[in-house]
Amino acid sequence: MTGRSQQVALAEGLARQGHIQPAVEACYQALRIDDADPLVHCLLAHLMLEGDFYDEAIEAATRAIEIDPDCSPAYLALGLAYDRRGGMWDQSILVWHELAEVVPDLVTAHVQLGEAFSAAAFDEEAIDAWRKALELDPHKARAMYNLAIAALRKEGVATALPGFRKAGELDPSQDDFFFALAGIKDDGNPAPDPEDVEEDRESRLEAAGALAFEEDFFSAAEVIRWIFDEDHDDADALALSAYLYIKQEAINEAMACALRALSINKRTRTAIYCLGVTFSKRPGLNEHAARVFGALAKSSPDEPIPHVLHAEALLGLQKFSRAETAYQTAIRLDPACVRARFGLAAVFFTEGRHAEAMWEIRRAAYHDTRRQGLFWDLYDAYTEGSA
Amino acid sequence: MPTRDKDARKRRDEARAARAAKAKSAPKKKKAPQAPKAPERPVAKVAEPPGKRTASARNPLFPIGVNYYPLEAETQSWDDWYDRDVASEFAAMAEARMSLVRIFISWKLFEPQVGQYSDDAEDRLSGIMDAARDNKLQLIVTFFADDRLAELLEVPWGKKRDARTDQYLLQRETSLIQRIVNKYRSDPVVFAWDLGNEAFLSGFKTQPQLEAWVDTMREAVREVDPDRPILFSVDPETMFRHTGVDPRDAIDKGEIAVSHATAAYRAYASEGPVISGPSTYVDGFLLHSAARDLPVLMDDIGMLSLDHSVAEESAHVRTVLYTGLMNRASGVLLRRFCDLDTERREPYFRDPFEVLVGLVDVDGEDKPVMNEVETFARVAAWVDFKEYTLVPERTAVLIPGERYEPLPNLAGLYDPRACLEAYMFAKEAQLPVSVAREEDEFGAFSVLVVPSAFNLTDETWERLASFVQSGGALIYSYGGGEAHPAVRDLFGVEFLGDGGAVDSLTCRVAQQDVLGTLEPFDSTLSLPHFALLGHGGGTVVATDAKGNPLLVANQHGQGRAVFIATPVERALAQGDPWAAPAEVKAMMQTVYGAVASAAGCGAQIECDIPEVEVALFNGEGDDIVLLLNHSPEAVTANLVFERAVASISDVRGGTPSQIGAVGLGVALEPNGAASLRIVYA
Amino acid sequence: MSDDASARLYQALVNQDAAAAISVIEQVRGASSDTGTLFESLFAPAMSLLGGAWAAGTIDEYTFTQAAVVAEQIGSFVMPSSTAQDTGVTVLLGTMHRDHHSIDRNIIAAALKEAGHRVIDLGADVRPAEFLERLDETGARIVIVCAQMMATARSILRVREMFLTGGVDDAVILVSGGPFAADKTLARTVGANGVISGAESALKLVSRAARDLRKAGRIS
Repeated sequence: MTGRSQQVALAEGLARQGHIQPAVEACYQALRIDDADPLVHCLLAHLMLEGDFYDEAIEAATRAIEIDPDCSPAYLALGLAYDRRGGMWDQSILVWHELAEVVPDLVTAHVQLGEAFSAAAFDEEAIDAWRKALELDPHKARAMYNLAIAALRKEGVATALPGFRKAGELDPSQDDFFFALAGIKDDGNPAPDPEDVEEDRESRLEAAGALAFEEDFFSAAEVIRWIFDEDHDDADALALSAYLYIKQEAINEAMACALRALSINKRTRTAIYCLGVTFSKRPGLNEHAARVFGALAKSSPDEPIPHVLHAEALLGLQKFSRAETAYQTAIRLDPACVRARFGLAAVFFTEGRHAEAMWEIRRAAYHDTRRQGLFWDLYDAYTEGSA
Repeated sequence: MPTRDKDARKRRDEARAARAAKAKSAPKKKKAPQAPKAPERPVAKVAEPPGKRTASARNPLFPIGVNYYPLEAETQSWDDWYDRDVASEFAAMAEARMSLVRIFISWKLFEPQVGQYSDDAEDRLSGIMDAARDNKLQLIVTFFADDRLAELLEVPWGKKRDARTDQYLLQRETSLIQRIVNKYRSDPVVFAWDLGNEAFLSGFKTQPQLEAWVDTMREAVREVDPDRPILFSVDPETMFRHTGVDPRDAIDKGEIAVSHATAAYRAYASEGPVISGPSTYVDGFLLHSAARDLPVLMDDIGMLSLDHSVAEESAHVRTVLYTGLMNRASGVLLRRFCDLDTERREPYFRDPFEVLVGLVDVDGEDKPVMNEVETFARVAAWVDFKEYTLVPERTAVLIPGERYEPLPNLAGLYDPRACLEAYMFAKEAQLPVSVAREEDEFGAFSVLVVPSAFNLTDETWERLASFVQSGGALIYSYGGGEAHPAVRDLFGVEFLGDGGAVDSLTCRVAQQDVLGTLEPFDSTLSLPHFALLGHGGGTVVATDAKGNPLLVANQHGQGRAVFIATPVERALAQGDPWAAPAEVKAMMQTVYGAVASAAGCGAQIECDIPEVEVALFNGEGDDIVLLLNHSPEAVTANLVFERAVASISDVRGGTPSQIGAVGLGVALEPNGAASLRIVYA
Repeated sequence: MSDDASARLYQALVNQDAAAAISVIEQVRGASSDTGTLFESLFAPAMSLLGGAWAAGTIDEYTFTQAAVVAEQIGSFVMPSSTAQDTGVTVLLGTMHRDHHSIDRNIIAAALKEAGHRVIDLGADVRPAEFLERLDETGARIVIVCAQMMATARSILRVREMFLTGGVDDAVILVSGGPFAADKTLARTVGANGVISGAESALKLVSRAARDLRKAGRIS
């Protein structure tokens, strides 16, 4: 293959910008010029996948692979199309196997392979695949969720719940929620150097939050100390301290700070959040966690994460139908909330609603893989390799 | 179902011939509307018990049947074709109040060598006929089917030629048909001749090929049997989706049409759990889509995968059966009578003993789904179509002609989903709704819904304008790109351009009560387009948060046209149907409902639960109301009638409950159904 | 609970004196019958004082950290137990003979164990005789039989028959599985006392059955 033709480049450009109809038309134009170009078929497969037209995606990806059996982006599109369509697990397993060999460090391939195995009732193979995924990327939340579900199916919710929580911590959306409560947003500007922070409380609090956002915990702690030097009964500063301690796995310290903050001002939502998180780390405090997160969900009704946290606490108390309601609320607020989807799947499994549980897992995979945008990584690597 | 009245049939055939002649000179055929006219149904074959109102064991105008496959175990061979105790199975079907059975001819068995027919095969067929007769069942005889197992069409002398196009094989097929038809042409046991099933017919590559084959086979049947109905079992929408071949013209040559949702179509249009959401509406949508001016048999009802529990299977079958009865099907056929006994496999599927989805298991024991069929049959038996007529569907969702454009035009992929979404909105607004196509006559309808179409033809715009001018109502949601010039006069809006994709949909109500009681909202929803509109005379009913018109209603002539500035139906169809924002759905249901009410074809019975479908059968002294819960939650549907209800009772009988009010509540189980006889005060 | 106790606990934490901390807790426990609220009324206020002291600079980072370590050590004295108290109710659980579906059974077993019941999980493919044998052996009077296939669900009748043959007419048989959700009459047909539709319903039904059996004097 000598490089992309102008038409293919045009199609690719349109596809990257998400202009599906013009991109499809450009692909067809390109096919009229050369219908044996795997890149075009590959692009078509991706575009069809973007529109959730799985049969068309399968056809295009299959054609690309027939032309070039090493076309890794086509394998990705094909595997995703099979999995999203459902009912094609035997084909899907083969594709993910192949892709895992062609691109061995592609974590998603192992996660998807595991899910295909699981759907086809090869449970042990599924677990092996997810473990392999975690070996490649210990932060792969979806692999962890799947392992938690596998544990649930063997040993019940109590065994699975820590896995859910651990996976949830890998999910940046929980931290994003804390910062949303604290009014801290990514505005593109880096956090200030502590020495440059102005000496008023507001500026220091804002700077400490920004530093915490950037995970510069020590600098953040330093600035917070300056706040305490002026007024040690600052509830917001105490809540931020609690967050910093949570991130450093110092749960009791975090609990102490959060409790102190709430004794000063019981409406400090950041402190409520931190207190709930510390409670959730102690199995005996599930009831307390449920109460705290329930209050947080009420005070932040339009945020999915507090509902998810509330649901997880309810799972710990074996209040499955209430957990289901909380998870459903979270999903209504954010259909792409993978954590809520897996949680809801867990609840469905406890109720024997296997088909609905598997559907939620498929939807979680759908949203997770869409978010990752892996196709273009593989496409670029493939085109570079063949240039 | 067709009448036995020869005069009526003759008149229809003449009319059809005249149409066909006209069609040869015209590029497009306009189909007569289906909506208000009930399809002709056969005269009862089952005697009604005399005396007081009682149901016959089966409803002769709504036959319930099942596909009866030739083999019952994977280990059987092709020549084990119906080599079993058919009589006892037919007796079981009759006991379950079925009246129709589809059987499949094995060409391989019947004609093992060219021109030589097997006596054994013919004897077996004769035995099947006798068994059906003895049990008061009727048969649909399918000549050319692919059941993936019994090698029905793999005649050894065929040398792998294509049975669809090879002239020599076509001749042999004709002979086979005539041989069988000739033998049973005057036997009332045969309900209809079925040319082929979708698995076989999906092998046709072009429309002319398909039509040529259908013509040949029909002629072969008609030469011998001029009267009996002929069908071929393809759904026009699913077949076109899968093969790109449009079978509508071929279907129109028959006397009965068929609808069925294939696994692939479900995966395309309504993926997800079968007990909620679009999955519970797609069968009704396809039924209406298949109904043109022929009665429609709803075929292949049953599960299509092994993922579901026994309870889900029962719920799904119940939903589809009632959907058929409530949406003007002329009969229903279940997918399979008996589970297929399969080989023992490794745990590749969940069950160590994998079974396919029959009504009875491999040991002949009834499965819970059989109870559903029996219960449904008892209900259906009480709905006498000679006394009760379904309220006509005056609202139609229009499938645009672009749906039939091939790739790279994506309309064919987006439009059916958007149309299904619109159909669901109409159902959730409790509207009797049908499905029409762009080239159909609009006269029979009072409301047309054009959901998120990319383009309509100039001619269609003229017809729509004329339709509204004459008093019809039109609901149109912008589909993207340049708006047609007709939009300006029709909707009273100035199209300023496509505002592009937006991530949220906001609604602020400017004029209350013009399109029902709308509520303001802010919702997260990805929309691919948003029409920027200037004022052109129409009433801006609602805007987005920035004041851009969202809903515009315009009086045009004697009718009304409503413009929705964004392709809501497409956006919801493309998104996650189970996470569709409730407020957006509520807005669409309200708009659809209000437009239909103003046009005089709104909900006859109000119901406070959108997921409960209500079908009203009007009778002389009383009405029958059927309710179907499309959700997996138990609900109490609060119904409000147009006049006071004196009493209600179960349609099958029982002590009436006195009501004396216009409203009443009906408790429904998850995916449950209720059938009520209503007597008014 | 007096502020004094919380203050003393706080001091013990700051002094890194686990023994003193435990002593405070035991004194409070001894003085009050309501020990279920030790966490809210004693531990939480003490931790709040700790947090305040750290914020005020009264204690340094090291002391704070060490106090947290002590808090971890004594946590089990004040936090509600993560394991439920033994209810004394024995439940036999198994998947019916010729049926190998285990997921629902595993989940139900785990939920019942979590709730403090004594669960004896007989696994899959359990013959009626085995149910009877373990019933006699353990004295259990609550049996949960799972089945996901119609044929095996119908055959659960043999369990009741086996029990009656064995002279056990007071066992509560609860059934679980898709067939029972699909056919509401099937449970009665097979002689079951109730249908479990999931983990939560298992907890409710077993509690109710245990209550009824206790009232009838069938179990202690």
